[in-house]
Amino acid sequence: MRALLPFRSPPSWAAKVSPYETRRRGTFTAEFRGVKVRLAGLALTLAYGGFIIWLYAAQPQTVAQVTGGLASGAGLYRVDAQATADGLVFFRRDAFPEARAAFARADPAQRDAQTQFYIAYSYYREGWGRLYNDDALFTQGLEAVDRAIALAPAHRLVVSDADLLMKSADELRAELVRGITREPSDFNPLKVFRTRK
Amino acid sequence: MTALREAIVLPGIFLTVALLGGLRLDSTVRLAPPTVVALMLAMALLGALARARALAPERLMNSGRPALENVSGLIVLGSLFAASAQMFNLLTPERGLLFVIFSVYFFVQILTALAGVTGRASILRSLAVLFAAAYVLRFVVLESLYAPDSGMLKRLMTTLLQGVSLGSIEYQPNAEGTGYAGLLALVLYMLGLIMLPARGAHSRTASLQRVSQDPSLEREAAR
Repeated sequence: MRALLPFRSPPSWAAKVSPYETRRRGTFTAEFRGVKVRLAGLALTLAYGGFIIWLYAAQPQTVAQVTGGLASGAGLYRVDAQATADGLVFFRRDAFPEARAAFARADPAQRDAQTQFYIAYSYYREGWGRLYNDDALFTQGLEAVDRAIALAPAHRLVVSDADLLMKSADELRAELVRGITREPSDFNPLKVFRTRK
Repeated sequence: MTALREAIVLPGIFLTVALLGGLRLDSTVRLAPPTVVALMLAMALLGALARARALAPERLMNSGRPALENVSGLIVLGSLFAASAQMFNLLTPERGLLFVIFSVYFFVQILTALAGVTGRASILRSLAVLFAAAYVLRFVVLESLYAPDSGMLKRLMTTLLQGVSLGSIEYQPNAEGTGYAGLLALVLYMLGLIMLPARGAHSRTASLQRVSQDPSLEREAAR
């Protein structure tokens, strides 16, 4: 009877794997899957944690600054060349608010040192006065030039533009600081003969 | 506790809380890092959780676990600490006498929990009440009192309070979005606390795992 029903008994190859072995293999597979999950979790957590620390350090104000900062970190950030060219045209025509609007469009994440330098310069030129300077504009200019210096490689920024009398960010910063500092030389009447840089 | 929960879900929840806890929306977006007081309160809270068996650090890190699992456990503990600090940072007004009052209130409550509360359910209930009460005080009562478009009576009351306290009571109201982000952070934090490995359930699970790996133990038990 047994010979008539050979399929009732388990095949010889199946008998080699004991229930303990099956369970052991299952545990091994589960452990391997666990290792993969933990490695993935470690990578995700480090990336997410790093992103949060960067956010707290950089304090971005807009979504454009967040995306621009991340793209800049990966070396993928580019300024809009057309908007920069428009900004320079406005800047040379002394149309400073228009120039700043174009520069802001060119560098929405405020990650380009040269664009920030031109923004600071536009605040300087607009705020400069023969009798007195506009402190509010100079302060905004100081913030922009500080951003430019922070972004420049080794914090050194020199712009080759024949139209500018101050070609380095350090000169511009010093001029802006002088502009908002109260000192006895402010009352020198000969100051009316000074020129805008 | 599964590897997925320990390595991905819990750190994800706690890091999100750490991010949202510092978010301050107004005319600008600001991310407030935790104060020293918030860090100290977070440390005390972790102690209270461990003492009440709502958190079992030995299940996250011990000499019997492989290095990778211990790293996962360390990340859970670190992210829990960061999230706890940011919860206190979120619920405490940022300066003035109100900052001191809220900090002392939290400190006394956590010390009481540390000394008296035993049992996972009790401490989780106690923390839910503590944080919910602080949330209502900060984001409902204070925000409505100091809202820029509040009525004459409210403004009179806040001016009087400021005068009586010699100017030490000051509060900077936030935009509504801060409250919503805070509520989300609070819910996520409580969810994370519930999902933490607790002490007590471990021994049975570990025994079952040992038996499933070693059949001789099973045979002995059957005998």
